Amino acid sequence: MSDTPILQVEHLSKYFPVQRGLFRKTVAHVKAVDDVTFTVHKGECLGLVGESGCGKTTLARCLLRLVEPDKGRIVLHGEQQALDIVSASRKEMLDVRRQMQIIFQDPFSSLDPRWRVTDVVAEPLIAQRIGRAEAARRVLELLPTVGLGAHFADRFPHELSGGERQRVSIARALIVSPPLVVADEPVSALDVSVRSQIINLLLDLQSQMNLTYIFIAHDLSIVKHISHRIAVMYLGQLVELGTTRQVFEQYRHPYTKALLASALIPDPTRRDEGYVLEGEVPSPINPPSGCHFSTRCPFAQERCSAEEPALRDMGDGHWVRCHFAEELDLSEEIFAPVAALG
Amino acid sequence: MSDTHPILEVLDLHVHFKMLAGMVRAVDGVSFAIERGRCLGIVGESGCGKSVTARSILRLLPSSQTSGQILYRSDTDNQPVDLVSLDPKGNAIRAIRGRDIAMIFQEPMTSLTPVYTIGEQILESIRQHQTLSEDEAYELAVSMLNKVGIPDAERRFGDYPHQMSGGMRQRVMIAIALSCQPRILIADEPTTALDVTIQAQILRLIRSLQRDLDMSVIMITHDLAVIAQLADFVVVMYLGQMAEQAPVVELFQNPKHPYTQALLRSIVRPDTPSREQLHSISGSVPDPRNAPSGCRFRNRCPSAHDRCVQDPPVVTFGPRHTATCWLYVDEETGTETAVFRS
Repeated sequence: MSDTPILQVEHLSKYFPVQRGLFRKTVAHVKAVDDVTFTVHKGECLGLVGESGCGKTTLARCLLRLVEPDKGRIVLHGEQQALDIVSASRKEMLDVRRQMQIIFQDPFSSLDPRWRVTDVVAEPLIAQRIGRAEAARRVLELLPTVGLGAHFADRFPHELSGGERQRVSIARALIVSPPLVVADEPVSALDVSVRSQIINLLLDLQSQMNLTYIFIAHDLSIVKHISHRIAVMYLGQLVELGTTRQVFEQYRHPYTKALLASALIPDPTRRDEGYVLEGEVPSPINPPSGCHFSTRCPFAQERCSAEEPALRDMGDGHWVRCHFAEELDLSEEIFAPVAALG
Repeated sequence: MSDTHPILEVLDLHVHFKMLAGMVRAVDGVSFAIERGRCLGIVGESGCGKSVTARSILRLLPSSQTSGQILYRSDTDNQPVDLVSLDPKGNAIRAIRGRDIAMIFQEPMTSLTPVYTIGEQILESIRQHQTLSEDEAYELAVSMLNKVGIPDAERRFGDYPHQMSGGMRQRVMIAIALSCQPRILIADEPTTALDVTIQAQILRLIRSLQRDLDMSVIMITHDLAVIAQLADFVVVMYLGQMAEQAPVVELFQNPKHPYTQALLRSIVRPDTPSREQLHSISGSVPDPRNAPSGCRFRNRCPSAHDRCVQDPPVVTFGPRHTATCWLYVDEETGTETAVFRS
């Protein structure tokens, strides 16, 4: 892992209009991604966590312009030149997609049921104007790398299990040898026993092919396992960004702490140790004023709902969006084990 | 109370479905018991038959061929009722369904009807089983909504399901299930569709209601962390068969079946060294129509042996701890090598 940036995201925003009435008048906006800034380094795995509706999938899609961002810049430091993806032309996008690919969450809906595995995996090559014969040859070469035998090439998606389908999705992403791969919840839809196979495969491929990952998931234990650095999102904003150790052990944002504490411990002798965060994620149409987390934060003060905190550098590349990041004692009683329930 | 008869006993349950492609043996010889006021966890991957087992208890699968016994004892001195012998569309089972045994389903998005308000849906269940005046029923419904933690319950009473979040809808499902104070609550993956912070809230709610109402809970899940946090006793299923059953601490500390052992090894724990290869089970769960003969886990089992083509024996390891595996039977003498003797 180096400090050379491969992708720089600057003030990226995506607002979806909420339209009402006969003339579809825009009455409000869903701030799905709100002023997000971060850098991805070559060879690392950046984890992105947050609850549903926090904008992590929209962010992933903006990075590849599968959803058009409204504001901001996404600078891809490519093999030849740096390029702003947001303002890239159609022709330049072809080059971007050769350098950056995505693995989708649901292997049951992301593969066309009428296409054979070989067609699915070859499609990015065809888009890159590579001949069919050459494409088919490369598919056969790649399949064993993702743990599928050559006999899978002629199968249809319905003949495959969930884990095999996800291997096909991974092969489709890797066929153009992109240095950067965005993985959007790649294991969430899989069975427990298959999940660890796919995680192992992603780890193997990263070291073999020198890949950089942006790994999106809501399962904290998996993100912790695979990531070098982690970004935590809440209601469209980054609330904390740092190395895995900083986020998991030296967290400075109350939401990060709450998220970590609500993960269930797979050990029956350690019950009632979790902290239960009250309330639900507010609607992103009208996020709370000031700090978006202030409505659920056990430490919220007047200033929190009046003034929006900025994402601040706490040193050593640890960024936190909280007014009181320096002074809060997050080990305080409020996060202590819930001893008596009910 | 636990020294008396269990409230529900499932004995040698078989549930088969006749399909065009052949017979699917979704549940094949499953036996377990659940004590009063306790939580039984059924854990397994997709296709293991855990949901079919749960639905068979309520006779919700009229097209299946069900054999075996499901003995329900409403009170300790009562004669047991064999639910399998009841007509799935008859009045006897309808009186038990919802009143004695209630169920919450996995998908809070699809298990509530979109065309009635949540209030009407709770009232329906109350009116079905209790003779109350309109006002009394309304009061009970509102108090149930309060009890499951829906803020401002009187106002939300007239809401339609689409106006609520996933966590709130799951709370409504729980309120409906608990409105008649059932003796047994069957929860089929109640938190799978929810976020971590909401999952923690719902599990805490189920646990506190279980204590308050002295209710028995059957928790069906694929997530071992949920089992670790909630269950007193665990049944591990694989492809319609019982792999192992044991009290929860015993199962986590001393698993005997190779499948249970592999499942427990494959979970990412807080102390798993990061970015190292995880333990995984090779292959994936086969299609239930082509399940292997004998032990159904044998083609993925690291300890598979010639004997595994025959049906494996049930070996006892301790009080209420059994595993269905050849591994613990001496090859020559045919005696159990690791038998518990009291």
